[in-house]
Amino acid sequence: MGLDKLSGNFSRRAFLRCAAAFFAVTTVAKSALFGAEAPGRAAASGFPLPDEKVEATLKRLFGNRPLHPGEGKLKLELPLIAEDGANVAVTVEAGLPMTPASHVGNIYIISDKNRRPLIARFLFTPEAGKAYIGTNIRLAATTDVRAVAEMNDGTLYAVSRHVRVTVGGCGDDVPQG
Amino acid sequence: MADTGRVKIRIPSTIRAGEVIRVRSLVIHPMETARRDKQGNLIRRNYDFIHTVSVSYNGKQVMRGETTQAVSQNPIFAFPLKVDRPGKLTVTFLDTTGKSYEGTAEIKF
Repeated sequence: MGLDKLSGNFSRRAFLRCAAAFFAVTTVAKSALFGAEAPGRAAASGFPLPDEKVEATLKRLFGNRPLHPGEGKLKLELPLIAEDGANVAVTVEAGLPMTPASHVGNIYIISDKNRRPLIARFLFTPEAGKAYIGTNIRLAATTDVRAVAEMNDGTLYAVSRHVRVTVGGCGDDVPQG
Repeated sequence: MADTGRVKIRIPSTIRAGEVIRVRSLVIHPMETARRDKQGNLIRRNYDFIHTVSVSYNGKQVMRGETTQAVSQNPIFAFPLKVDRPGKLTVTFLDTTGKSYEGTAEIKF
């Protein structure tokens, strides 16, 4: 009886202590994450937009239009492992028609983990004869890279590839010291 | 960089009429990004990057690219071009400092 009471008391006390500690930790973490960093960035940033989640980018660019899987229609070539994130060769090739009635209007290159995910957008006219783009991009971290082709009627095709980045290539991270 | 703005354009050596060729263009440009410290404050603030790439053939725009800082230094752009008659290919790069760089190539059969 006495033992039971003791252990009951102990566990209640331990629970309270735990809860208090947890509360303290979460408040500290919250203030560190949202209190210090986010407003600091927003206030100091000025011209460059603050971090944008890739979902937000996709929503901003494409609204609620569905992204159809583009396998077989769109070819995205990237190295599997990029040793230098500052210079990653990427090519996007669309095997889609290029006639004035139906052609690829835009090709978007989007990286999920970059501070601003939209890397580049290329607008094509039927005079190009083919929708193809090859360029070199910067990747901040190991990430999925997406290519989205937008037809002139608004249909979207997307493909994505995972790239392992050994050294981040964006200027956001400061050198040591 | 002393060479900033130098544009190189490479076209295939043999071109047949009606073909879709691949053109490779390169521009020497730092494509500078803004740098931030760990608190997210800007420590260097010179945006100097190419924001528009414009390709025109015989004066008509064929392709346009809108690029950000996430494009590498000295960027390469490879793009297709349908050539059904000889003409002049012009690639223009515009950067955020207001400068524009241009490269041209003659296309003959």
